[in-house]
Amino acid sequence: MAETLDVLEQARRDVGLSVADLWMRYFTLGGMSTALEMEAILYGALLANDHDRDVIAVALNERFAELGGDHPVPYAGDDPDDR
Amino acid sequence: MTAPRSGVFGVTVGFDVEQAVLVVRGEVDALTAPTLGATMGVLVDQAHPNLTLDLAALEFMDAAGLRVIADVAARLATSNRILTIRATPANIRRILDITGVGARVRFEDPDPNVAALGTEQLSGVRPSAVVSRPTELSADLARVGSKPNDSVVDAALRLVTVLAGSTVEGADGVSVTLERRGQLATVASSNDTVLRMDDHQYATGEGPCLAAAAQGHWFYIESLAEEDRWPAFVPRAIEEGIASILSTPLMSAARPVGALNIYSNSERAFGPRQQELAAMFASQASGILIDAGADVIDEALGKRILDALLAREVIARAEGVLMARKHVTAEDAAATLHRSARTAEVAVLQHAAAIVASACDVPGPDA
Repeated sequence: MAETLDVLEQARRDVGLSVADLWMRYFTLGGMSTALEMEAILYGALLANDHDRDVIAVALNERFAELGGDHPVPYAGDDPDDR
Repeated sequence: MTAPRSGVFGVTVGFDVEQAVLVVRGEVDALTAPTLGATMGVLVDQAHPNLTLDLAALEFMDAAGLRVIADVAARLATSNRILTIRATPANIRRILDITGVGARVRFEDPDPNVAALGTEQLSGVRPSAVVSRPTELSADLARVGSKPNDSVVDAALRLVTVLAGSTVEGADGVSVTLERRGQLATVASSNDTVLRMDDHQYATGEGPCLAAAAQGHWFYIESLAEEDRWPAFVPRAIEEGIASILSTPLMSAARPVGALNIYSNSERAFGPRQQELAAMFASQASGILIDAGADVIDEALGKRILDALLAREVIARAEGVLMARKHVTAEDAAATLHRSARTAEVAVLQHAAAIVASACDVPGPDA
């Protein structure tokens, strides 16, 4: 397994959320893709726009925060040379 | 407020041979959704075999309206009925589909534009490219959509009755009564006498089994000869040669859904030990129902979806506030919301609620 995981999928595994649980959080936050579509995004089978990726990232970050962590998943445009 | 818009809310109910048709006009929002909910609730209670919601004249529906639809679909599902939705607008259809509520309703004359509009709203996500592999969630939803195979559940419950019958001393017969399609029925019984005992209770509308299933606590008739509750049922029971009855409720998510009934030909047959065993078997039977994905799961999942819809509404409103304040697009408003919540170290929903509240503080034109 030489291929690298998408940062979102890696984060999902790190916080131990099932795809179903992550999707429910993503949907709660305003996500508009189905669970299947979201899973396809995680696996890189679908290209999502910035907004969709960000909503997934927020769902993951909020889980990290619940576990006492930081917000490690970057949002679109989160650059060192911000602006 | 300005002049009334064309879209004043209204519901018309029509009936034909086998169905009730609700035609909804205008705007369904937090103000009008309760009326729609109450109207649909009456029709659900009246047990019309089919309920159709016609949305051709609908102009707007927010989360409150979607909750009504999700709620009605869930309630109909508990009695194996299904909600039909006619002329569903694309955006409503999309939300119903992604929440799984769509799998629990029937769409009449699907709009050919649905797919196109759905794709557009996804902006960037191409549903056609999605692999059709079931996820945990869709498995969950499939279970909700199609009822558990009754015969498998029944077989498991029959096993419980056999075990209870052979374990509880003094038991001459055991049955399990379960609420199905809105009414109680015997789903497992150890012999014909017991089956008739249950039938006497359904026929007279009274008895310990019905009481346990309705009230959620156990009922013990020590001696039918001395029993003065249930005057219609008791003589029939005595005629069957039964002398004592112990009915223990089956619980699903703290809600009674049926009863485990143990009958004896002897008076005072069941002491504390037997009562304890009955409770154990009742809890086993309850466990089977839960595992089988009975209505409880339906309700729990429905609740999560409804909560999620409410949260989405708050977030969407906050984004609207940000769009107006900063003159930005919806996506930029969302990005702003995500970042500022992260900076403030609060959950996005909490942050959104604060933004909405702050917008309400500003006196508006009609305040």
